[in-house]
Amino acid sequence: MPDEKAVRPDETYVVRMEGISKIYPNGVAANRGVDFRLKKGEIHALMGENGAGKSTLMKMLFGLEQPTSGEIYVNDQKVTLSSPSVAISMGIGMVHQHFMLVPSLSVAENMVLGMVPRKGMFIDRAKAIAITKEYAEKYNLHVEPEAKVADIPVGMKQKVEILKALVRGAKILILDEPTAVLTSQETAELFRELRGLKENGYTIVFISHKLNEIMEITDRLTIMRAGRSMGVYNTCDVTKEEISRLMVGRDVVLNVQKDAAQPAQTVLRVRDLEYTNEWGKKMLDHLSFDVRSGEILGIAGVEGNGQKELIDMLFNLNTPNGGTATVNGVSVIGMPQRRIREHGVSLVPEDRMLYGIAANASIEENVISDRCSAKRLNRGPLFNMKAIHEEADRLIQDYTVLCKTRKQHVGMLSGGNIQKVVVAREFSNDPVLILADQPTRGIDVGATEFIRKKLVELSRAGVAVLLVSADLNEVMELSDSLIVMHNGKIAAYFKDTKDLTDDMMGEYMLGLREQSAEQIGRVCHD
Amino acid sequence: MTKKREIIFSLVRGLLAICIALFVAMLLIFISSEGAGFGEKLRATGAALKQLLIAPLFRTGRSGVSFDVKRLTDVLASMIPIIFTGLSVCIMFSANQFNLGAEGGIMLGAFTTAMVAIYVPMGAVIHPIVAVLAGGAAVAVLMLLPALLKTKLDVSEMVCSLMLNYIVMYVIKFLMNTYLADKTKGQIQSYEFLQSAKIAQLVDNGSKLSVGFLVALVVVVICGLFMFNTRWGYTIRMIGLNQDFSRYSGMKVAGVIVLSQVLGGFLAGMGGGIEMLGRYNTFSWSALPGYGWTGITIAILAGNNPWLVPLASFFLAYLTKGCELMATYANVPAQLLDIVQGVIFLFFAAEQFLSRYRQKLVVKSAQEELAGKEGAKHA
Repeated sequence: MPDEKAVRPDETYVVRMEGISKIYPNGVAANRGVDFRLKKGEIHALMGENGAGKSTLMKMLFGLEQPTSGEIYVNDQKVTLSSPSVAISMGIGMVHQHFMLVPSLSVAENMVLGMVPRKGMFIDRAKAIAITKEYAEKYNLHVEPEAKVADIPVGMKQKVEILKALVRGAKILILDEPTAVLTSQETAELFRELRGLKENGYTIVFISHKLNEIMEITDRLTIMRAGRSMGVYNTCDVTKEEISRLMVGRDVVLNVQKDAAQPAQTVLRVRDLEYTNEWGKKMLDHLSFDVRSGEILGIAGVEGNGQKELIDMLFNLNTPNGGTATVNGVSVIGMPQRRIREHGVSLVPEDRMLYGIAANASIEENVISDRCSAKRLNRGPLFNMKAIHEEADRLIQDYTVLCKTRKQHVGMLSGGNIQKVVVAREFSNDPVLILADQPTRGIDVGATEFIRKKLVELSRAGVAVLLVSADLNEVMELSDSLIVMHNGKIAAYFKDTKDLTDDMMGEYMLGLREQSAEQIGRVCHD
Repeated sequence: MTKKREIIFSLVRGLLAICIALFVAMLLIFISSEGAGFGEKLRATGAALKQLLIAPLFRTGRSGVSFDVKRLTDVLASMIPIIFTGLSVCIMFSANQFNLGAEGGIMLGAFTTAMVAIYVPMGAVIHPIVAVLAGGAAVAVLMLLPALLKTKLDVSEMVCSLMLNYIVMYVIKFLMNTYLADKTKGQIQSYEFLQSAKIAQLVDNGSKLSVGFLVALVVVVICGLFMFNTRWGYTIRMIGLNQDFSRYSGMKVAGVIVLSQVLGGFLAGMGGGIEMLGRYNTFSWSALPGYGWTGITIAILAGNNPWLVPLASFFLAYLTKGCELMATYANVPAQLLDIVQGVIFLFFAAEQFLSRYRQKLVVKSAQEELAGKEGAKHA
């Protein structure tokens, strides 16, 4: 194990998490027997794709979640971190990716929230400002104590968050993707400050999947994949390529048989799609591609590189700043979902609990949600209950949904069966285009294989399929051709997936390589 | 969690809430009851509880306990308006619209119906029908206000409808005082309804159990079918359960939010109209009647299921009658009813009530399922 190589037995750790497992109430196992150790005064990277379990692990260290099994030691004392306030009292602080600040209050007021200095009945503002200044100077983190949080730039908000943790006595700082929202200058400044903290004996956990930053700032790194730790390394001992292989490598190879694709006419045509999110980050950068009838076009990429935004635009869950998207020649931008569905577009949404189902409704009610007005399911003003029961039973059988009856609440099913309910609905309404966004994330092998086979079957019957997946195995096995997204752009287009290797994919996904504009342009079949 | 466990949980939770409420009631009765020593107080409490729990249907005399038809018809008669407000709230809450306008709605419905009954002469059978429908329509239009403000400007329908209740009440009071009162009478009341507008009584014992009761039951059936057997009711429920899912599925979310509130308004208005023509000869309400608030309790007791509204209405009508009798015969203030209702409401509305017990059931089910899976793997 690389673990032993990087660790000498006599070294002491400020935090030891041993054999941590976390099973959520819905049955998702987010962590499986993870060991995680922090040395005093190090900057330790926690790496892995979204869904790999790194956030869950850190939430348990910050007391936001409790482990199902496993033990946590802080300074060699076994502890139960039942809430963030307990974690804070042990000197653990966390800076969340989305800031937890009150925008209408000043920086100083935010700093002292929950521990407000008082003068009689009133807040002692002068003291709050003094505290802020004192800490800002001590740690060389420049902020403006009297400015309103709503008015200060993102980089300063982050410093306020870090200071907030320090004021509360944190010695161990967890930074959740701290650079995701920063410009490169702000990132450079943050790194300087983090090094300063490190020299003062602070321990920092740095959650990220940006390779260059990891190499630059961290001492050691722990890589996670699918809820398990893939090992601990000294940063100086590993190369970017090795990390990328460990992060995005393939776990299980499922074989889905498929004939060669015979693409026909273009169904989905996307041109110059652009979107800048509310934090001013460009999520889609002149994206153009085509999906043809009878083919599966895969989109690979580390999450957060614009895939979610792309799907949102195509199903009108969000509005782009520019560009076009047409299905069989009809623009779907801004079209109500009912009409998008009438044009034969189906979506297997990434967030199945939010969009895919109503958890407290029955299986039957969930499978008819898109077709409740169909003539065959209604008789005059009333539902044709018999037809609806038949439809539900048929879909439950065809899609092998494991349940007791069609009346069972969908929320009671396992993840795989919930997804089968979603897929049963989305695949059974004669679609011409299926948008499948992470269709098999977090579900069991059986359901995964079933859904993949169905996707192939439908595409061979002439449906156009756009498959978005962070699961490398999935996109490479299923797709006829493939694009890799990085930073809202297409980094690579592969007409054929046969000769691709994991290492190559990893390099494109993490932005180490990029194809020429001419190569990428081939994804448009004009 | 399995369906069986879910049902057991709801039952335990509901019964426990009612038991706690009755226990609180008992304590309060004990404190307020007259008597010198502990034993006397206890006896007085016993007598009061007998009135509360048994007297609404049974008369106790020297000859023992005997069933009392008049008291039963009283209870049934008082169910009429609250069945309508209960249904109204059920539909609006099902769509996750916390519209509290049933209270003002029932008053406006009663007022509008009364006006049609007084000033618009018509044939005997058609008159009450038109008058009640007019009452319903008036409130349906009123509810467009919170509904459209919600969908167009994202104004909280709760705040809007709540305030609307008082606007409605004071406007009606103003109209009554200034223009519509029968000046020959000592109190503020309208002229008498035309004979043709009155709703026939089912029994002639002064209980005011009118044909309106049958109408209420028919409307329960219609609402039950509407909510569970039509595409509109289905859409309302799905939007209430998960609005994002509904939008993604292609439902017209904004339209249905408006529809649910307009329908709820219509039902409340109808209830007010039927209550007016079935019980009174003139319009003399000078304050909000409280049926709308009771409707909220009923909807919560019934879990927003129209089919359970008659049951919940009966329960509350029974309690109301019990409190009335207790006030008359056992010298306990009738306001106790509000306390009992309040406590029930509190425990039903408290999402976290018994949540630990629920979590235990969930974990148990999950473990069983996992064990089942492991077993299947090894087999």
